[in-house]
Amino acid sequence: MKADTLKRIFPVILITVVVFACVALLNWTDSITRGKIEYQKEQQVQSMLAEMFPNMSQYTFEDDIYTIYSNGDRVGYAFIAAGKGYGGDIDILVGLEDEATIKGITIIPPITETPGLGSRIAESSFTDMFRGLNIADVALSRDGGQIDAITGSTISSRAVVDAVRTEAMEKVKLLKDSEEGG
Amino acid sequence: MNELIAIFIGMALINNFILVRYLGLCPFFGVSKKVGNAVSMGIAVTFVMSIASLATWLIHHYILLPFDIEYMYIIIYILVIASLVQIIELFIKRTNLALYNAFGIYLPLITTNCAVLGVTFINMVENYSLLGSIVSALGAGLGFTLVLFIMSNIRERLELADSPKSMKGLPIAFLIAVLLGLAFFGFGGMI
Amino acid sequence: MGKFGKEFAKGLILSNPVFILALGLCPTLAVSTSIGNALGMTLAVVIVLLGSNIIISAIRNIVPNMMRIPIFIVIIATLVTVVDLIFQANFPDLHQSLGIFLPLVVVNCIILGRAEAFASKNPIVYSIADALGITVGFMLALLMISFLRQILGTGSLSLSVFGIDINFFTLPILREHPMVIFILPPGAFLLIGLLLGLFRRMGVMKSE
Repeated sequence: MKADTLKRIFPVILITVVVFACVALLNWTDSITRGKIEYQKEQQVQSMLAEMFPNMSQYTFEDDIYTIYSNGDRVGYAFIAAGKGYGGDIDILVGLEDEATIKGITIIPPITETPGLGSRIAESSFTDMFRGLNIADVALSRDGGQIDAITGSTISSRAVVDAVRTEAMEKVKLLKDSEEGG
Repeated sequence: MNELIAIFIGMALINNFILVRYLGLCPFFGVSKKVGNAVSMGIAVTFVMSIASLATWLIHHYILLPFDIEYMYIIIYILVIASLVQIIELFIKRTNLALYNAFGIYLPLITTNCAVLGVTFINMVENYSLLGSIVSALGAGLGFTLVLFIMSNIRERLELADSPKSMKGLPIAFLIAVLLGLAFFGFGGMI
Repeated sequence: MGKFGKEFAKGLILSNPVFILALGLCPTLAVSTSIGNALGMTLAVVIVLLGSNIIISAIRNIVPNMMRIPIFIVIIATLVTVVDLIFQANFPDLHQSLGIFLPLVVVNCIILGRAEAFASKNPIVYSIADALGITVGFMLALLMISFLRQILGTGSLSLSVFGIDINFFTLPILREHPMVIFILPPGAFLLIGLLLGLFRRMGVMKSE
């Protein structure tokens, strides 16, 4: 090979080698971390469920619904609702006591609403209002429901409320259908 | 439509990149001495942000996700932005020299601007739609430009004022940012 | 002490990345809300900076000029991704606190700046010294700011990262009525503006 051609292809070879090495390294890192990352996410859900249902001994997950058991007895359900808030998606873990009552809600981190305002949807002063509430009553007070919006964060509050109610009604319908179906 | 407006206002004012999200601080303090430069930088940034958001969204949803290589996003995003900036710079230089002189020289600086890469990351984390991503980039860029505009106006006047020697320049700029930041907090309860 | 020591010490004060070179301002202000975050970010930066300085210094003589920036970016981005994945798997809380600022390390001016200004022109040993010095300087600046922000903004000083969870102390009055502003951006700007002014006054830096 002429020295001249070599000189010209060298940069191309170099960058190919570098890119190859980097991609290989990343692929390897991904393979060793992926499992653990999934595990962490599952851990997070589990600890949130345990906090919501203190007497939970185990749970199952099927068709996007968690069924919570306490020593063999079913004590409730849970599912994740997604609301469209200010800063984007708000993921909410909703617990159901039975097919008509909310057990409670937890906002799943990271919380991307406005700090100090919309982010207060994660505070217990807001989430506690959902406890023991009838699904039909899940609406802002100004819309006839039982939830007081956070001052200055109507959008975030409403996003949570709408998401919880809509998803709860849908999940309850699914549960009833599957019960009837056998 | 409501959602898009909320995204736009959120990115531009309520979660302003410079004053709330801590993004784009380097150019903010580096380029904000003259109004003309500041606005040029702002417009260049908005432009690059919008195109970068479009490109990264497409790549993310049509290449990274289907092939299950989402973990490559950092490398891919930054390379996309770097290439885009090169292409845009060449394009503007060849087609419109006046425009190039107006803000073309800021383009290379934009590659390492954490605001541009930042908006693409935010689009990904928030899972915006294609339209949402572009609107978010426009909002982010315009909000960035607004703050740069205000800051440069103030700094121009400050140059003529009698400040303590050790505070001149960067330190005073930060103090101005405090006041601006507090003012922008007022947008928080807007919607 | 020799040249190694000299390059190392340079990063601490004379060329302190935050207070003098004014590099990496974005992550500095963003993660200085707590000491835990500050240390976590420092770990990420030291891994990437050390790695990139070493690799770039090693290949500095065979990389053609034109290819320098793209190759540097690829290398740095790879390192950042590795750190991002490892943190996500092993330190999920830290990863969540750092948020987008962890992947943003890829455009952190400190890293690309050192690669361009130093590692590409100096042998590996000194590049290592440079990386370590700059990181320590960065860490000191970060700790200084987080210390102030955490105490004033939450009234207590605690460290909770990497499995450690210590509460150092709580200041009685501040705990009840913390100056929340310091946890928020305006407070950060205030602190760093004053600190910069202070450093200059002490003559450690030359004025603009």
